[in-house]
Amino acid sequence: MSYVYTVARLRGMENNILDTNFFSRLMDSQNLDDALKSLGETSYAQWLSQSQSFDKAIDSEILATCKELESFVPDKELLTIFRLPYDFHNVKVLLKGLFKVRSGESEGRRYDLISKLGTIDTDELTEAIETEEVGFLPYGLNDLIPECWRLWEQTKSAQTVELLIDDKMFAAMLKVAEDLNIPDVTQWVKFKIDAENLRSAVRLARMKYESSKALNFFHSGGTIRPDDVAKLLNEPQETWTRLLSHTDIGAALNAMQDNSDIKISLSEVSKALDGYLIKVLEHAKYSMDAPANVLLYLLTKETEARNLRVALVCVAGGLDREFGRRLLSNA
Amino acid sequence: MELLGLSLALIGAALAAALSGIGSAIGIGIAGGSAAGVMTEDPDKFGSCLILQALPGTQGIYGLLIAFFVLNKLGLLGGAGAVALNWNQGLQIFAACLPIAIVGWISAIWQGRTSAASIQMISKKPEAMGKAIILPAMVETYAVLALLTSILMLMGIQVG
Repeated sequence: MSYVYTVARLRGMENNILDTNFFSRLMDSQNLDDALKSLGETSYAQWLSQSQSFDKAIDSEILATCKELESFVPDKELLTIFRLPYDFHNVKVLLKGLFKVRSGESEGRRYDLISKLGTIDTDELTEAIETEEVGFLPYGLNDLIPECWRLWEQTKSAQTVELLIDDKMFAAMLKVAEDLNIPDVTQWVKFKIDAENLRSAVRLARMKYESSKALNFFHSGGTIRPDDVAKLLNEPQETWTRLLSHTDIGAALNAMQDNSDIKISLSEVSKALDGYLIKVLEHAKYSMDAPANVLLYLLTKETEARNLRVALVCVAGGLDREFGRRLLSNA
Repeated sequence: MELLGLSLALIGAALAAALSGIGSAIGIGIAGGSAAGVMTEDPDKFGSCLILQALPGTQGIYGLLIAFFVLNKLGLLGGAGAVALNWNQGLQIFAACLPIAIVGWISAIWQGRTSAASIQMISKKPEAMGKAIILPAMVETYAVLALLTSILMLMGIQVG
């Protein structure tokens, strides 16, 4: 099947993406029941009746979308790029659980945090990691997991292991993208690495981290070298946008300058970076057969899911609706 | 030499029908792929999709028209036998067939791509059907100009 069919079908599916009016209505709901009633009128309805919580229902919708796309997208690797972070997230959850168990903590395992959205069956992954029979795992996980164990034995630092996992995740994503040989997609993965590095830089700056110690937090493979991201920590944050003016992603940091509230600023920067990752693919919308449309659709769907979670948690917890509205992504 | 002239004219007619027909088939195929994608999600759009999918088909018809024109000029349709044709006249008829053969072939493919994009457009904005037809119809202009060129050239060639 060609991408002409694929993109046309995605255009049809885009009609079911929830719009800003829906989210506005959702935020105005009196309580969670009202909000779920509104959600029951959308494509999420089928999952709401089957799932124990709205969180699981949202996951089920994304998983169903991935499976549907798998049936007609010519290059399945496009879906792999989207789903790989979930695989690596599951590895993190499982390893951190085992680290805690081996450290003697009674409540180590957190199976509830495992996501079904990865490419590897979660039961198989759990069994592989718990029995340490990881030889069959793809995307370099077979080498990574023993390496994580060794690192943990040496450092006893879950954060160090987590950084190693992230590093390998981006390397795996970049490899899948390069093998696909679609320049837009490879470029997007590089921008994603940049975005993650900048997100880390913002957090580290808030924690007054020194640039010499921060290099380990940044991943290679992006368009901005980890050294250059680390150097930002020596500079006042107001100058970051100017320092990164030679890159497209620098403008996304404007949100940081406009806000003095740290919590809001962090979430605004995070939102801006997520928005940027969608924006860089948006030119594909004007092509009737660009493969990048697949990734764009998945990211839009993921943003929709994130917005739904924010809105529903806000309504369920009776939080300030204006605060909730500010957390919603616009994409 | 008479046979060479007739052969050249027939090759021209064959190219006009074949190349523009191939172009139309590819164009309709591209637009059809897009229509199938849209209709998988919304089968009610069949009517609109069909109109847009059919647009790249006209080049094939234009090519066939020119082929008939040539065959008629050569006297091959009435059963009265072919007219005498020297190689120079045959080459002139061959040249007259080229505009619709080449422009029909290429424009049909591009019209198919534009139709496919228009089909995607009406999937999101069904109310824009009028605009969606105009966009691929713009490509049609050049196929019509090529058809006219071929007809005018053929009309100017004296045979028999």
